[in-house]
Amino acid sequence: MAIDNLLQRQNPDGGWPYRRGGSWVEPTVYAVLALLAEGETPAARRGLAWLRSARRSDGGWAPRAEVAESTWVTALVALLPPEYLGEKLHHGAISWLLGSEGRESSTLYRVREWLLGNPPTPDQQFPGWPWIAGTAAWVGPTSLAILALQKNQQLRPSAAAQERIDKGQAFLLLRTCQGGGWNHGGINALGYPSQAYPETTGMALAALRGARSPKIEESLAAARRFLGDCRSADALNWLRLGLRAHGQLPTEYCPPADIVYRTVPETSLDLVLTATGWGREIFGA
Amino acid sequence: MPERKRDFTRREFVAAGAGAAALASAGCGTAVVPLKPAEVTIVRAPAYDQSLYDTMRRLVAEQAPDVRGRTVVLKPNLVEFEPGSSINTHPLLVHATFEAFRARGANVRIAEGPGHRRNTLDLADAAGYFKTVPNFEDVFTDLNLDDVSRVRMERQVSGLSKLYLPHTALGADLLVSMAKMKTHHWVGATLSLKNLFGTFPGGVYGWPKNPLHWAGIEECIADLHVTLPRQFAIVDGIVGMEGNGPIQGTPKAAGVIVAGRDPVAVDATACRIMRIDPLRVRYLHLCASDEGRILERNILQRGEAIAAVATPFQLIPLFQSLRMEGAA
Repeated sequence: MAIDNLLQRQNPDGGWPYRRGGSWVEPTVYAVLALLAEGETPAARRGLAWLRSARRSDGGWAPRAEVAESTWVTALVALLPPEYLGEKLHHGAISWLLGSEGRESSTLYRVREWLLGNPPTPDQQFPGWPWIAGTAAWVGPTSLAILALQKNQQLRPSAAAQERIDKGQAFLLLRTCQGGGWNHGGINALGYPSQAYPETTGMALAALRGARSPKIEESLAAARRFLGDCRSADALNWLRLGLRAHGQLPTEYCPPADIVYRTVPETSLDLVLTATGWGREIFGA
Repeated sequence: MPERKRDFTRREFVAAGAGAAALASAGCGTAVVPLKPAEVTIVRAPAYDQSLYDTMRRLVAEQAPDVRGRTVVLKPNLVEFEPGSSINTHPLLVHATFEAFRARGANVRIAEGPGHRRNTLDLADAAGYFKTVPNFEDVFTDLNLDDVSRVRMERQVSGLSKLYLPHTALGADLLVSMAKMKTHHWVGATLSLKNLFGTFPGGVYGWPKNPLHWAGIEECIADLHVTLPRQFAIVDGIVGMEGNGPIQGTPKAAGVIVAGRDPVAVDATACRIMRIDPLRVRYLHLCASDEGRILERNILQRGEAIAAVATPFQLIPLFQSLRMEGAA
């Protein structure tokens, strides 16, 4: 039934909206992943064609056609298997990701801060990824970029990519909220600790597969609490991914039956999570 | 049918102000700014209860333009949800306003694009919107994920290289900013103008909408005020927030709703109620182009007098300088 829902929402141009309206890269990637997990279909092929046509000359992708610059959504496109997206396009997406970092860790910014007499902050040494070039790094885009690079390492391992993964994971660990878990990336406001969100906690945990830290243990406990309390489809999807990445998702776990999957990413990610075989491999599970 | 025309446009205001300044500098006597006073209504509202429906019906009838057959978009402040907090515009006030505009023949929608949380509808559910507004999903648009267009700015204040805005906001015949009366740890106070930040689409700018921080928060507020179509402002001061707002502050009951057609005048009035000097709030200057629109003498207060409802909102040390002189 969820597949039918996805097929009905596909736009004539081949892409998908978040709920309704024009096509965006993010829901299109998730819908294509969900359809591919069920086996290649004409709808998935049309989605892939739309994505290929949306590629920008710098190798990245913009959130949608009206936006005139490549952004974080390039990480999502890089999650698609190269054999479906196209080897050259996939390689370009990975290269674009490796060239992207938060403004606060760029050389220019660090020199400026040094000239102003500001001491370096710990996360300047560990570049994460921004939503948009020229701005700071945040938990969401950093997690997705790490996931894409980790997936690519299985096919085309490189020392440069591994270094970015390691530093990206260090960035995430520096942004852990007090008591475990992650929010968008602001761990305090005027000295007051900010609270973790379930969805970003799941995302960051998924990206921290293989990493070890007491902060991860604390965050896994937070994620388990969120999993029991949370009513958001988006958050539950990411919590399942995050806990599964650390072998902590109870095998019998099923989301509550009354959870509402409203957006294309929510529906798609749930399909990917419940898929067997290839579908389970998408996020490196 | 309402005209897409203000009683006194910004361009006219700037021209008038410049003319007056020229007269003054030429030694032609005291400059008199020919500013038609903006009307701002202050009503007492001690609680979030059913009486709000009548209050808002009267307030909209008295203050809002003719909206028959027009699209009115209510833009509440929906940020995060924590039980017992006063972060968000109260859903009962939003629904009372929704019904008030609908009773006047408008096609009313509710729209918001939160800056931190991606799952907007889950946030709205937690904040009580689903329970309070019948068929909420049918009348709500997530501005973060709405269709967008690139917009050329008539007068750009910020360093933002490209401005993208959602179609629901751009297409509104009347955009009603329904802010919460709160202090803000970066700009001093967040009211109807700062609330426009939620119209920046997260799908383009991210969560948080960080490019706007780099381009200047106050300047981006001014960009939005200049660019977005006809606006109406309502500030929910029934229970606001003081201290380390807009999220981590303390609930503060002011027991008022402030509303009017000129957001600058509404926010200036709300500041005075909070015992914040609006002339020291930088983004009000950027939005107004001239402090004339902020001055109390150029605002025609309806309903309650400011002095009768004023209550000092606690300010963090960084913003103590905003405190009105003579206020506690």
